[in-house]
Amino acid sequence: MGRFEIGSYEMSMEKLNKKSLNRSPRIARFRAGWAIYRQNLLGKIGLTLLVIFALMALCSFIPPLIDPMYQPMTGVDPDIAKSTGPSLRHWLGTDFMGRDILSQLLAGARVAFMVGVSAAFMSIVIGTTIGMIAGYMGKFVDTLLMRLADMIMVMPTLLVVLILSALFGQLNIWIIVLIIALFRWPGVSRVIRAQTLSLKQRPFIEAAKVAGASHMRIIFRHIMPNVLPLAFLYMTFRVTSAIIIEAALAFLGFGDPSTVSWGMMLQWVWKTGHMFKAPYWLLPPGICISLITLSFYMLGRAMDEVLDPRLRKEAETG
Amino acid sequence: MILIDSVARKFFFKLICFFMFFLMCVVVSGCSDSKENAADILKVGLMDEPKTLNIWLASDKWSGRVLSLMYQRLYIRDPDTLQLVPWLAEKDPVYDESKISYTVKLRQAKWSDGSEFTSEDVAFTGRLIKEFKVPRYRARWKFVKRIETPDKRTVIFYLEKPMAVFTTRTLTSPIVQKKEWVQIVEKARNSEKPLITLQNHKIEKPVGTGPFVLKEWRKGAFLFVRKNKHFFGTGQKICGRMLGPNIDGIIFKFFGTSDAAVLALKKGTMDMFWWGIQAGYLEDLEKEPGIRLYSNERSALYYWGFNLRKLPFSDVNLRWAIAILIDKDFIITRIVQGHAIRMDSVIPSGNKFWLCTDVPRYGEGLTRAERVKKAYGILKKAGYSWKVPPVNEAGELVKGKGIRLPSGEPMEKFTILTPPADYDPLRAMSGMIIQEWLKEIGIPVSAKPMSIGALLQKVKSQHDFDAFILGYGRLDIDPDWMRSFFHSSQDKKRGGNKAGYHNPDFDRIADESAAAMDKEKRRNLILEMQRIILRDVPYIPLYTPDLIEAVREDKFTGWVETLEGVGNLWSFCELKPK
Repeated sequence: MGRFEIGSYEMSMEKLNKKSLNRSPRIARFRAGWAIYRQNLLGKIGLTLLVIFALMALCSFIPPLIDPMYQPMTGVDPDIAKSTGPSLRHWLGTDFMGRDILSQLLAGARVAFMVGVSAAFMSIVIGTTIGMIAGYMGKFVDTLLMRLADMIMVMPTLLVVLILSALFGQLNIWIIVLIIALFRWPGVSRVIRAQTLSLKQRPFIEAAKVAGASHMRIIFRHIMPNVLPLAFLYMTFRVTSAIIIEAALAFLGFGDPSTVSWGMMLQWVWKTGHMFKAPYWLLPPGICISLITLSFYMLGRAMDEVLDPRLRKEAETG
Repeated sequence: MILIDSVARKFFFKLICFFMFFLMCVVVSGCSDSKENAADILKVGLMDEPKTLNIWLASDKWSGRVLSLMYQRLYIRDPDTLQLVPWLAEKDPVYDESKISYTVKLRQAKWSDGSEFTSEDVAFTGRLIKEFKVPRYRARWKFVKRIETPDKRTVIFYLEKPMAVFTTRTLTSPIVQKKEWVQIVEKARNSEKPLITLQNHKIEKPVGTGPFVLKEWRKGAFLFVRKNKHFFGTGQKICGRMLGPNIDGIIFKFFGTSDAAVLALKKGTMDMFWWGIQAGYLEDLEKEPGIRLYSNERSALYYWGFNLRKLPFSDVNLRWAIAILIDKDFIITRIVQGHAIRMDSVIPSGNKFWLCTDVPRYGEGLTRAERVKKAYGILKKAGYSWKVPPVNEAGELVKGKGIRLPSGEPMEKFTILTPPADYDPLRAMSGMIIQEWLKEIGIPVSAKPMSIGALLQKVKSQHDFDAFILGYGRLDIDPDWMRSFFHSSQDKKRGGNKAGYHNPDFDRIADESAAAMDKEKRRNLILEMQRIILRDVPYIPLYTPDLIEAVREDKFTGWVETLEGVGNLWSFCELKPK
């Protein structure tokens, strides 16, 4: 029993040392990357904007706690029954029913993050897995998966979602997220496949094969860590497209009606005829959509520079 | 060489001068021509393009609007009194009780091709509708047994039984020209699918008796109708109104969105937008010089419908509770922005003669808390139970949870189908808000906006729904449609009775009303029908929206206001350029 305890202690110490040894280069790498990132103006602006939007999303829970009239969907000001401009009670004014626009804007930030990040994450998971398998397995599997990717790539996502909405009624926000994810993976899979094709020629893969590692182990243990940074880079761009698709859908009247998103806010401005007379209602969601997509794009560009030394060099020489 | 060069140069110079002069002549003559015409041509904006010019196929409102200027009826409604007045007919129909027949004398009129309008045309139209069972008009003509034409200007209709709706429904059907349709009918009759062949026949130039005739339809761009020089009403006084048309024609332009149409109206490139203006534009348009807004009641019913074919909606207590929970005044003041009238009966308030005012007014004047308490009381009394009742022992409101039916089974989540936000954002929003109100009492519900086609398919054809919010526009002044909406014989696929309402008492009174030739007796029966419906609430009437239309009055005057707005035949016959 005692031996066992000593043995297990020794083992855990060994694991701990290994972990700390492993962690320190990772932290060092992160610090090095962060140092490069900090030098990038676009990256700094993008990150600042993202932090602001994240704070907005977090703050969206506060207004309904102050007063039920700040419920973004159902709360109405008892004294206001039409669209009014900014006031002390409603900092961004009210919509056509007397609902608080600021509360809706904050709730919209939450929805944008939820839609953008989850759709992008799903599409990256699908795209990376398919890209790695296609690149590593080659031959028939590669052809099959890449032709499938080509087919999905040429399908217009927005149109498909519109048709599905028309057929099955307005879609739930999670269904919209899933559809976006299912239609946005081919681009990622193509890039990951190309990277995998290059990686599988490297000696460490050959070594793993010689050591008897299975295909799955090679793909997920040896190739995946090397393609993940690239996958996460693409994720930032996918977030942008997911947010835009959701906003476009909602604006056209096919979004989830039970969700207050920025696209939905724009749709309400448009459909109630306030487009030209209520800039306090029209501009905030429009600006937010532009800025959040811009911030993810800037983040992606900066990360691109961190991950690709060639870009850094160009920037330095330029 | 130099000489030839200078001669050639002179020749080319002369040639260019000649062409320039010719071109200028063409442009100037064209401009002056178009200016003369343009001044007297009304430019009307439509939201969408007409789908067809075949009157038997036209079911969309845009085709209907254009065709209403060409194909005319025997009787139409006086814009002020809403009584039927002779139009293609010369005088009121004469009823012969012994023969159950109506005799109609026709006015001296001509078709737009110059040929004479005769009783043969009327008889032909009636027979065509009956033979081909044209869906839109079939019900209006099915009780007509025989049509006789003793002379060119007399038509006698023999009915199977006395029908009060004959004058209001049958005699207001559009009349087509026999000469134009006889060959089409022959071809359709000999085809495998006669009705489809008839409806699919492409009509390029409709021949009508109306004030306008089609001049040109450039698909996707515009549709131009010009004055019909053979129009029977020109220079005549009907209903005390001197008819024109006083304008040369109407150009219909198609705008996909209200924004574009409102901008065109403000800019002056359009004289009238034949569609309701949303509340958001009103303030802006009111300030615009030259634009006038007309607000008129609509003959419309916007309502909530239940599927009475299944539980729990077959229980009248639940229907009462929901009727109390729905705050119509909130919907009207907040969602519809006050541009609607609360409905407590199924007949629009503008239809004063037939409207029943002593019907239950569910939840009127109650606060939100009072509504919840009252609805809770009704359901509790009917045997419903809750895991967490919406009203606690201290009488305070809490969020109700775990509602169970009187049988003890938990109430399943149900769906309110509404039109999508792109079609009608107000009804979609109403669905969302009502969903929240019902959740307060623990009723598990979610609103689901879906495309109007799919919604109607589910509600009308498949009967696969729980509840829905829909609307009827342009309801006939004669409320015979109530019979079709609630009569148990109409509870069939594609029938009018969407709710699946069955009440033998209602059926009996409805049948009696259809046959009642005495107007006062019929009115009493119709009032009783409304009382029954509002007691059983298969539908919860919500509101009648106002119709606000915008026109430019700096170019044309003489718009005629009536129920359903200024876009009507009387206006187009009376309008004058300024």
